[in-house]
Amino acid sequence: MALVLLAIGKAYLVLGAGVAVVFLAFGIDRVEPNARGAWAFRPLILPGLILIWPLVLWRWWALARGWDEQRRHLPPRRAQERLGLALAVAIPLVLAIAFSVKQGEPQGQPAIRLSTPGEVSR
Amino acid sequence: MSVKYIPVQWSKNKYVYDAVLLVCVAAYILIFLRLGAPAARTTLPVDEQILRMRAFGTCAFLMLTVILCIGPLARLDRRLLPLLYNRRHFGVLTSIVALNHAMYVFGWYFAFSPTPSFEALLTANTSYDQVLGFPFEVFGVFTLIVLGILAATSHDFWLSFLSAPVWKALHLMIYPAYAAIVAHVGLGYLQDARNPTFAVIACGGALAVAALHLAARRKAEPAAAGDWRPVALWSAIPNKRAVVVRLDGDERAAVFRNGATLSAVSNACAHQNGPLGEGRIVYGCITCPWHGFQYRPEDGCSPPPFTEKLPTYRLRLDGEMVMIDARANPPGTLVEPLPLPEGT
Repeated sequence: MALVLLAIGKAYLVLGAGVAVVFLAFGIDRVEPNARGAWAFRPLILPGLILIWPLVLWRWWALARGWDEQRRHLPPRRAQERLGLALAVAIPLVLAIAFSVKQGEPQGQPAIRLSTPGEVSR
Repeated sequence: MSVKYIPVQWSKNKYVYDAVLLVCVAAYILIFLRLGAPAARTTLPVDEQILRMRAFGTCAFLMLTVILCIGPLARLDRRLLPLLYNRRHFGVLTSIVALNHAMYVFGWYFAFSPTPSFEALLTANTSYDQVLGFPFEVFGVFTLIVLGILAATSHDFWLSFLSAPVWKALHLMIYPAYAAIVAHVGLGYLQDARNPTFAVIACGGALAVAALHLAARRKAEPAAAGDWRPVALWSAIPNKRAVVVRLDGDERAAVFRNGATLSAVSNACAHQNGPLGEGRIVYGCITCPWHGFQYRPEDGCSPPPFTEKLPTYRLRLDGEMVMIDARANPPGTLVEPLPLPEGT
């Protein structure tokens, strides 16, 4: 299972590197006017292109069709509020679970005899 | 603002912000390394490598805690808004500190076996069916991946390319990442530590994040129905300021008063969807309180050579009540400012 996960991760990153090269060579100047003639910042975006390449492909496709100008002004406020609330509930819950399973310190505890004197454990 | 991308847009405030950050991180690491070993009182002796990984790990946790406190704090008290301006640099530095922690972990716990490090990380402990002894490392791996994605997409290019709502939705991953890092610390370091100092600091910080997010939750204002919605009495809108009205769904409009006229634009800045209605009019332009992006009130366009545009809205007066047409105009549409009654 671990090997499969690692293989999937490697394949994902290799594909991401391919998408990054193609996007930087052919896509960025078409869909992002502010990037035209600006080169120094491009190495900075390379890791992001590799890490979120499916999103890059989707946005490349959407921008090439001039698709979402109006949607740029609709931030996900409700999602943020819900996630903030979920986080506020999750934090005390996680801490409570963590402290409920925390074990005491063995040092300083009196020894407990587990078998009668003379008994030999097998 | 836009026009051409450069690697980093520095300003005096950013230099100061980053310098303070670096000094604080360096001071924390040095103090932890100096005081951490004698104070640890763990069940097993702490060697130098473990001490370093704990220094960077606890530092990253505390940095992430502060980052998550900044948003609600700035909403509760506007004087703290400057903390928000450069939060992306804070996030990138946090991911670097967290990566250092991970490298020390790999270099110590997973470096001395024939099994490759990544494989060893995933196979060393598979007790996923129990809380005590749960492989807490997976929470850390998840958070590290999220921090890496957020740091890698922190440049302004990503805001423009993804659009602010998509970028924001992507960066909302910080919430599950923080819950995961609380679990990572709670089921990891806090299980072993006998000195309560870090436990108190970590729990206090995490609970502060929870409390601040509850405190800053916006009260859900009901949205009115119909195309024309009431906003406020025009006399209630301070000069050079705005009132924000909720429209449908996530949409909000900011109605600004500029002397004797009113204009309405989207409340979401085109840069990072900052709350424009909490800004003010400076030199005739609506100015975002987050990063200072500016727009003309009448058409929602940034002054040349900048190219950002906002949707605009039509306004009318119904007696003293300002009414807004909830149907947004396309970004950059000119709407003649609504004149207020004479003598205002």
